[in-house]
Amino acid sequence: MKKRLYLELENCIGCRSCLAACTQCGGHEERNRNYVYDVNPLVNRQTMPLMCLHCENPACARSCPAQAIQIHETGAVLSALVEKCIGCQNCTIACPYGIPKFDQEQNLMYKCDLCIDRTKDGIPPMCASVCPSNTLQWLTDEEIENKKKQFNLDNGKWVTSMPYLEGETNVKVNLPGILQGITKLF
Amino acid sequence: MQRDKFFKEIENLNHPNEKLIKTHCSYCGMQCGMNLRVNTQTNKIIGVEPRYDWPVTVGKMCPKGVTAYQQTNHKDRLLKPLIRDDASLKGTAEGFREASWEEAYDLIAKKFKELQNEYGKDSLSVFSGVSMTNEKCYLTGKFARVALGTRYIDYNGRFCMSSAAGGFLRSFGVDRGSTLPWTDIHETDCLFIAGSNTAECHPTSMFRIWNVQERGGYIIVVDPRETPIARRADLHLDLKPGTDLALANGIVNQLIEMGYIDEEFINKHTNGFEETKELVKEFTPDYTSMLTGVAPEKIIRAAEIYGKAPNAVVMFARGVEQQHKGVDNVSAYTNMALVTGKIGRPKAGVATFTGQGNGQGGREHGQKSDLLPGYRKITNPKHVEEVCSVWGITPEEMPQPGVSAYEMIELMEQKTIRGLYLLCSNPAVSAPNQNFVRKAFKTLDFMVCSDFYLSESAEFADVVLPAVTWSEDEGTVTNIEGRIIKINKAQEPVGESKPDWQIQVELAERLGKGKYFSHLKTARDVADEFRLATKGGYADYYGATWDKIDKQDGVFWPCKNENDEGTPHMFLDKKFYHPDGKAKICALPYRPPAEEPCEKYPLRLTTGRVVYHYLSGNQTRRIPFLHDMCPEPFVEIHPETASKYNMEHEEKVRLFTRRGEAIYKVKITEAIRKDTVFVPYHFGHEESINLLTIAALDPISRMPEFKACAAQLEKVELKKVQ
Repeated sequence: MKKRLYLELENCIGCRSCLAACTQCGGHEERNRNYVYDVNPLVNRQTMPLMCLHCENPACARSCPAQAIQIHETGAVLSALVEKCIGCQNCTIACPYGIPKFDQEQNLMYKCDLCIDRTKDGIPPMCASVCPSNTLQWLTDEEIENKKKQFNLDNGKWVTSMPYLEGETNVKVNLPGILQGITKLF
Repeated sequence: MQRDKFFKEIENLNHPNEKLIKTHCSYCGMQCGMNLRVNTQTNKIIGVEPRYDWPVTVGKMCPKGVTAYQQTNHKDRLLKPLIRDDASLKGTAEGFREASWEEAYDLIAKKFKELQNEYGKDSLSVFSGVSMTNEKCYLTGKFARVALGTRYIDYNGRFCMSSAAGGFLRSFGVDRGSTLPWTDIHETDCLFIAGSNTAECHPTSMFRIWNVQERGGYIIVVDPRETPIARRADLHLDLKPGTDLALANGIVNQLIEMGYIDEEFINKHTNGFEETKELVKEFTPDYTSMLTGVAPEKIIRAAEIYGKAPNAVVMFARGVEQQHKGVDNVSAYTNMALVTGKIGRPKAGVATFTGQGNGQGGREHGQKSDLLPGYRKITNPKHVEEVCSVWGITPEEMPQPGVSAYEMIELMEQKTIRGLYLLCSNPAVSAPNQNFVRKAFKTLDFMVCSDFYLSESAEFADVVLPAVTWSEDEGTVTNIEGRIIKINKAQEPVGESKPDWQIQVELAERLGKGKYFSHLKTARDVADEFRLATKGGYADYYGATWDKIDKQDGVFWPCKNENDEGTPHMFLDKKFYHPDGKAKICALPYRPPAEEPCEKYPLRLTTGRVVYHYLSGNQTRRIPFLHDMCPEPFVEIHPETASKYNMEHEEKVRLFTRRGEAIYKVKITEAIRKDTVFVPYHFGHEESINLLTIAALDPISRMPEFKACAAQLEKVELKKVQ
């Protein structure tokens, strides 16, 4: 069954285990490909991961003059092909989330490929495997649908992927606020 | 066993020319399951793969866990024994030369014998740690008492968990860190968490903890800082450091006042209620608020939530334990569970977040100055006889109880103790009052340190022995839950390094005590003797064989025989371990911290961890990812306080107490009390916050008060401080 990366930003504890784990993926050359931000470090300890959302119509790939950014059949937007990337950095500018990173020495773009050597066989990506807080999860569409229902607010305050994102994405996101929709046990 | 809703059947990724070795992390008490990736051609550890089938952590790991494997083949590993001939270089990393094991052993045996001949058996000491297997912890206790014949052995649990042990022993008559398995935690209705920065110190508990809120349950957090878990808690009780006892008394008083107590449970299963009720009466919300700085409404609300919750777990960690009344704090918070009867059933109970990997098992089997295997007492003649029969010595040969870790260091300074064998610990960073501690280590006539890196403490040694990392040996560890688990060997020892149990066997032979040790040729040999030595003690591991551990995904002690599956939940029969079977509700008068703020030192200094480092940082500071994330200590200050001192974010300032001083970068955050400053303790030499901390010891646990002392800040008037 197809599974997706699902982000529940409310859960993030800022441990950056996802970044450490990213370096462990076989195809990642020990470089992490995503980000964790301190939202307002002088005020509180809120943090959030910024992961590639694997857009269905990715700006990075659209902007690439060399067609170096391929989309895998699973929907994963892959890292630039070494033999095709011309190092123009269009993708780093085009991506509305600032995901692609650039290696000056190799003149090569690199980005999250959703651990394609794992996810092509249904094994969760490293980040979602290790995430201690369940900020990053690897779920079926049904499980994500249930999450939506569980955290739905009737007052329109509740948020999920759309319409805040640039377009439809393979990765689904719950912005902070999930607890507002919970009925307390007592 | 205990596979819950978080458990998913996932196959691991197997890379070509690699095998996966199932094991657990080297660091904290969570002991997260992990697979080490081993290259089958080089037979070296090259990476990590999640262990999805470990029921407690289901593949999850914190950044320390993910990078733990990088310790094994690290460039800083000690590959051969080191000897330093020039004692004037003690306290530095200079002057060491490589030596053979033969030469190192000969020198140690000669020096140990000389010291004992001249100054008596007790002139030697053993300072140990609990980030190693039960088998090693067990053998270290036997080595001290049988091979060295000294009374002076103690361990770094005195800086970690001994207050939890003391509190549980007093309240329950038994010290098992958690009365319930971790797989219960997400199913409870209220978590009351005091003095635990869980998100940073035990991150892989967090997916269960957050799930309590997702189900509509409550999280109450007690902490002077708004830690990541406090930020999302339903209620954050932002107390002054060192005032937990007042807060706990205040909440127990409210539980009684508001009628949330379980009278039947109290009458049938506890002692001490009336006395406690009388004592806590004084702790009205207003009085408690005055002592703790927590708003009265919050104290009332906390009692209301905890009291109403059908099931609740009281949890705590070093924040409450590392105080000179740590044992009282533990018993006082435990009172909450006892007066409401929220214990002795699934989904309800009391737990401490075990700090060190084997903080639980390591304190049960004879590394503590007054304990013998199986949690037996060295002062109890029957217990001594039982252990002597396993060890093959007479009760007359068993040394007397010694003193606690910090008190041993005091005896070094006084020259009562003249020799030290230090292993698995780095007290030249982790002990309080470092100026004194470092002086004491320099005073020693002879010091041996066993470690796999040249730690700050090794810099005081005459001989440094290269030990193996956790991944080059096998054995058992008892995790945060009281579950005995198996650590597996993934590669052969690097260089000439050896496991500590082997070092002790070989040293014992050199000291003429081979007949008590020479039969221990493998870790499994030690394990078999160890299980036998615990048999009949209340921390009984006899039935916890390696096979059973493997088959059952761990075994919870007590586990008395082959057919016993172990004890995930404690006290299900409502029988506690005191002779009358009852638990003790403790009446505990409040005491302020040993050192309260004053005009000269107006701030409260508290210390703790960051997520990227473990204990003294000797391991984690060498891992590139962890070092990059947190390369140096800092002092956390509230913006209003910083403004009063005219200090800016990232400015270097001088922090000082009556005992010492250090220069730190300011980290401004509103997520801390205005009267409190915080510094992480993972750093050595002149960066160590323990230059400033106070050695005020708990009367029972002998735990120093790391969590509260009086301090002052000052701008550094130099042009530029490097």
